[in-house]
Amino acid sequence: MNGSFNIKRIITYAALSLAALTFIYPFIWMIGASLAPLHEVGNMKFWPAHPTINNFQLMIGKIPIGRSLFNSLLVALLTTSLVLLTGSTVGYALAKLQFRGRQLIFYIIVFTMSLPFQITLIPNYITMVNLRLVDTYMALVVPFAVSAFAILMFRQAFQGLPQALIDAARLDGCSELGLIFRILWPNIKPTIITVAILTFIGSWNEVLWPLIVIRNEQLMTMPQLVTLFAVGGRADSQLGVKIAAAVLLALPVMIAFLFFQKHFIQSMASTGLKD
Amino acid sequence: MAEVILQNISKIYSDVDKHMGRHKAVDDISFTVYDKEFMVLVGPSGCGKSTLLRMIAGLEEISEGNLLIDGKRMNEMTPRQRDIAMVFQNYALYPHMTVYDNMAFGLKLQNFSKADIKSRVMETAQLLEIEDELYKKPKTLSGGQRQRVAIGRAIIRRPKVFLFDEPLSNLDAKLRSQMRIELQRLHREINATMIYVTHDQTEAMTLGHRIAVLNKGKLMQLDTPMNLYEHPNNKFVAGFIGSPSMNFLKGRIINETGLYFENESKQCRFSLGKDLEASLGSYVNTEVILGIRPENIFLKDDGSLSDCSLEVLAFENMGNEQLIYLSIGSQTIIVRRPQTHEIEIGDKVALSFSRKNMLFMVDSTGQVIDTTVLSNAGSGKL
Repeated sequence: MNGSFNIKRIITYAALSLAALTFIYPFIWMIGASLAPLHEVGNMKFWPAHPTINNFQLMIGKIPIGRSLFNSLLVALLTTSLVLLTGSTVGYALAKLQFRGRQLIFYIIVFTMSLPFQITLIPNYITMVNLRLVDTYMALVVPFAVSAFAILMFRQAFQGLPQALIDAARLDGCSELGLIFRILWPNIKPTIITVAILTFIGSWNEVLWPLIVIRNEQLMTMPQLVTLFAVGGRADSQLGVKIAAAVLLALPVMIAFLFFQKHFIQSMASTGLKD
Repeated sequence: MAEVILQNISKIYSDVDKHMGRHKAVDDISFTVYDKEFMVLVGPSGCGKSTLLRMIAGLEEISEGNLLIDGKRMNEMTPRQRDIAMVFQNYALYPHMTVYDNMAFGLKLQNFSKADIKSRVMETAQLLEIEDELYKKPKTLSGGQRQRVAIGRAIIRRPKVFLFDEPLSNLDAKLRSQMRIELQRLHREINATMIYVTHDQTEAMTLGHRIAVLNKGKLMQLDTPMNLYEHPNNKFVAGFIGSPSMNFLKGRIINETGLYFENESKQCRFSLGKDLEASLGSYVNTEVILGIRPENIFLKDDGSLSDCSLEVLAFENMGNEQLIYLSIGSQTIIVRRPQTHEIEIGDKVALSFSRKNMLFMVDSTGQVIDTTVLSNAGSGKL
């Protein structure tokens, strides 16, 4: 019995290790290749014989990658904060306040989730042009500041909290905003973390929208800049330089993943969604 | 000083999310809760008592009528401006805060100094005997301790009025009777106006200076516990207050050389005596309900003339008393005896009803026919 159990275990672990290797191989190769001199990139070896940071130096000289990292972080953090703010206030109203048309508003919000981004792309762009927001940070943040998904998540979380908790805080003299952030927020931490992680990653990975509204290189986000660099011909077809840019693009998310691994997996599992 | 006055208060629900159309959850209720009074609102579930309390608290909008606290109209005031505190059935403690922070939260919002908050928390914790739990989270506390913290959170702000929404119904029976006594002690010590909602008539009887009995959104009667017990206004109050509840016998008053009561199944028929004749004379041949409490029916073992003779359906020996269930027509009546006697199911027993403790109600309305005043006046003349 013990023996068969062990064999089953060995097979399971072997299969999982193989799968893990399959996934991690491109990453490791990517890092290796980014450090390889031009003539070694094609070798498909894990580690170059003569590692060099030449690729990174070349890339930094050609594009403002540092600035784009800052832009990406700024945009992702701003978007995430705004989504948490708007999501929880709207979610609270839909979950706990009584007003006419509450259900209808909720259904309309949920309905917007079914609209593909590509459909609203052009109207959104026209709005940005009319508001004179093209080529500003606002163009990257404002359209994503309210998220139907976040509203839905917060509404569900608030609905699960007892009404008496809200009543008690009101009697203690708490304002409605104080109630949301001081009483309710600490009790729905998993939801906040889930929404924050998914919003941050969604914002970080966005390429199409920045390509449309940002033309000033100084305002470009990292994925946008790297994409333009890689496919736009400015890398002079040098594979190593392109890969170096890709490494820098992947690195922040990978580091974040190492820190928040537990929450990442919970978020994906709890929503069944993956961007 | 805090006097709470309710003037013609109603709660009307239109069909916002309710699918039940317009209905009145609270219907035109007026009464005054005096300063330092312990007022209990009691009634079956769905009678509107909690809604009424939430309207006083400011958690529900008042559809019609006025609410005055200390003479000031409060309808549009927020809960904070009304200066009231409330204790909830499920405690509603903030789960992420320690007991200390739970109690301190309201004071922090009022910008009390740290030292003041600390001294008040300590004082309150001492009063409620929860000093050892101050730095624990609510989920590690027992039900009784949680309720103490909830009460602590309410009294620490020293509000004008305390509201209690079924605070003991989540506790087990033993703890409940213990907390009842503590609440009485607390009321004596902090000497504040309290309004207490419960569906449990025992709690109402033991805690209230006065009790307001509600049914279907209407105020049925408001009086002291003993007056409610002895002089209910209507059939609902008569049946609701007291345990086991009052026996009701349908029947009619007939006139055959003096007034008689005869029940529906004609198993009971007895003379009402001189005192009752004066006040019941105008009800001859109308349908009435006779109400009589279980302790006011006596078993006659001596074979003398009885009011009726009924079959024993069941009995319960409680040690200090005996409850006997008797069948009359399609109804059951209960008799309570102070001591346990030998009895068998199926026995026929002779009963006599205490005349001075009988209530008569008009069958159609449930209104109690006033027999006390007239019979007192009558006996005065004799």
